[in-house]
Amino acid sequence: MAINEQMLKSIIEDVLREMTGATPTAPSAPSASKAAAASGVKLTAIGDAKQGTASDEVIIALAPAFAESQTETITGIPHDKVLKELIAGIEEEGMKARVIKIYRTSDVAFCGHDAAQLSGSGIAIGIQSKGTCLIHQKDLFPLSNLELFSQAPLIDLETYRAIGKNAAKYAKGESPNPVPVKNDQMARPKYQAFAALLHIKETQHVVPGQKPVEQRVDFI
Amino acid sequence: MIIAGIDIGNATTETAVARVTNQENPEFLSSGIYNTSGIKGTRQNIHGIFASLKLALEKAHLTVEDVDLIRINEAAPVIGDVAMETITETIITESTMIGHNPSTPGGLGIGVGVTVEIRDIHSVEKGASIIVIIPREVDFEESSHIINVAVKNGIFINGAIVQRDDGVLINNRLDKKIPIVDEVSLIEKVPLNMRAAIEVAAPGSVVEELSNPYGIATVFDLTSDETKLVVPISRALIGNRSAVIIKTPAGDVKERKIPAGKIVIQGATKKAEINVDDGAEKIMEAIRSVAPVEDIKGEPGTNAGGMLEKVRQVMSNLTEQLPATIKIQDLLAVDTFVPQVVKGGMAEEFSMENAVGIAAMVKADRLQMNMIAEELERELGVKVEVGGVEANMAVHGALTTPGSNKPLAIIDMGAGSTDAAIINRAGEIKSIHLAGAGNMVTMLIGSELGFEDMSLAEDIKKYPLAKVESLFHIRHEDGTVQFFDKPLDPQIFARVVILTPNRMVPIPGNFSLERIKTVRREAKTKVFVVNAIRSLERVSPTGNCRDIEFVTLVGGSALDFEIPQLVTHALSQYSIVAGRANIRGVEGPRNAVATGLVLAYGEGE
Repeated sequence: MAINEQMLKSIIEDVLREMTGATPTAPSAPSASKAAAASGVKLTAIGDAKQGTASDEVIIALAPAFAESQTETITGIPHDKVLKELIAGIEEEGMKARVIKIYRTSDVAFCGHDAAQLSGSGIAIGIQSKGTCLIHQKDLFPLSNLELFSQAPLIDLETYRAIGKNAAKYAKGESPNPVPVKNDQMARPKYQAFAALLHIKETQHVVPGQKPVEQRVDFI
Repeated sequence: MIIAGIDIGNATTETAVARVTNQENPEFLSSGIYNTSGIKGTRQNIHGIFASLKLALEKAHLTVEDVDLIRINEAAPVIGDVAMETITETIITESTMIGHNPSTPGGLGIGVGVTVEIRDIHSVEKGASIIVIIPREVDFEESSHIINVAVKNGIFINGAIVQRDDGVLINNRLDKKIPIVDEVSLIEKVPLNMRAAIEVAAPGSVVEELSNPYGIATVFDLTSDETKLVVPISRALIGNRSAVIIKTPAGDVKERKIPAGKIVIQGATKKAEINVDDGAEKIMEAIRSVAPVEDIKGEPGTNAGGMLEKVRQVMSNLTEQLPATIKIQDLLAVDTFVPQVVKGGMAEEFSMENAVGIAAMVKADRLQMNMIAEELERELGVKVEVGGVEANMAVHGALTTPGSNKPLAIIDMGAGSTDAAIINRAGEIKSIHLAGAGNMVTMLIGSELGFEDMSLAEDIKKYPLAKVESLFHIRHEDGTVQFFDKPLDPQIFARVVILTPNRMVPIPGNFSLERIKTVRREAKTKVFVVNAIRSLERVSPTGNCRDIEFVTLVGGSALDFEIPQLVTHALSQYSIVAGRANIRGVEGPRNAVATGLVLAYGEGE
């Protein structure tokens, strides 16, 4: 219990520090800072995301704070690496990745579902800044999914690659074996408070009613 | 008086209840079916008998007290145990080839060069032809960059072997395209500074150069003697989309036979000895040559011996007889394939190794059934008697099928054994019990597809398949499309599913629908068609199944959606009219023995 209290305190301190550090930069140059990004990747907004027609595309839908106000997952994996692995997984299967940003929600299921509607293949990956992600299909109900990776602390880069691969395989009409989901009972008590805070931080960047925005991705 | 006929089968216990007023014409009231409890022919069966009888009586609004006589079958064959022996293995010595099938290799074409680790590329001389080895630590961005730079500096990089699944990614980033084989998990075992050849075929086609011995000879400048030695390598690569061959001084690929032991078949007059690794055809030939079989023994200390002794042991425990007195009466051997990891492989390659599946059958003695009858009589307070031989009863039952008449042959296809009987115009019956039936089909399907879970194989055997193409439609195995109003379960999206009556069960693994369908049909053909012909040959008065005109199929496996068609089709080539029975015009192929038991009483047997 003592550890919990201590940890919580340190987390709150961390968050406060970050928030005070982040607030002056964010509002000062809102349009420019959109492009300011995680160290290794540059996202550039290139207009509203359009309905896809190519059946060889898989959309990756990023939650509002991804690679912008937040730059790493809950376990400190940099967002650029995560995005690179997802795209690589899709590319290895011979499909094309299209990256969009969702602003109307920070919920991973709705991010994925919105994107699946826009995807030419009907398949999309939704991912939150803290790392939680899922593979969605356009005909499914929003809260359903093809594969869900709910325990963000347990997802490593290899798993992100496999998720990209599987999404591409679904898009090709193959029947991949689901990516093995790791499970750790201790992940929940250890990370729950942190995860909640990260989610709140992400939700602060939600812009109700805003349409998904197409992104150009440049790895630096 | 009310008579109940009860048939204890390997899988189900079936009951027929009838009122017999005049001996000639019993009036059937109802029937019941319940899963057999325990192994057929043992005391544990009683629970199943109770349940089955109760079901039938309830339907006829009767109680146990109303029943005057119960007749149970003289269950002849009991154990139809099945076992599998792998008889070949592929061994690669000193890492000479990688012949695995990564789903997404990169590039296209054929490349030859000396193997070099990508991080040592700076020590390679200008103008050299090399194949780069890319371990896990070097990612696709880095490796493609290194290759591009090296090529610019005048090194000929003709191919790449990659540990991670990066083939397409690297290929997409190269200025000069090369064949790339990826997902080579044990890349550290690839020998360096050796001549190697890589071939990647276009999507949808297979390697042509490296699967041809002369192709390999061309690539490596081999002499005719050396070419002879590479034949097993090229053979192992046939059908792959990508392949690597590395020429090492002592490398080799072998297909080795695993000695599985001998089996000794003791006939009434003759005796035959046969090696299990000679394959199913030779074994079946030996059995045919010594028929009728008295006992079958395995060579002690070998797999074959262990397998047959196990059957004997189980049987002796059940019947409380000495193992030595248990006689194996029949054996069905079937050639099949089992996926096995290639020994010495570098990419966890699998090869389909030959295997022999064996079903053995042991004849029970009458004592057991008498014991069940006595116990049943004690508990129910109703007279219980053991009726005639199962197959004879089945003939009596089968004759109630509309449109059937003597002479008639039946094939009773159950779970544990296939029985056949023939009745001539005079009413004389000849019958035979053979090993191998539904359970063996399940085993063959399971082992060929590599499933541990036998219930899954059982479902594949029983129900048709479909491919879920979208959340709103599936394509059945015959190509028809079915649409749904509500979205299907996302768990089964894009999967091959088994259409069980309750739900669609997804099949794990990356098997195509056609492959599973082929495996299923082949397993059924290997067991049921072979056994149908084998059993008819044995009961036919002339020893030739062409001399039988009419055959009806009974038993649980006759309910299968394709077994009757497969058997009917096969038998039609012998100009035999074969079809599924319809017992009493209502029961379909089920309840034949139970019905026969009641009828046999009427006829005073």
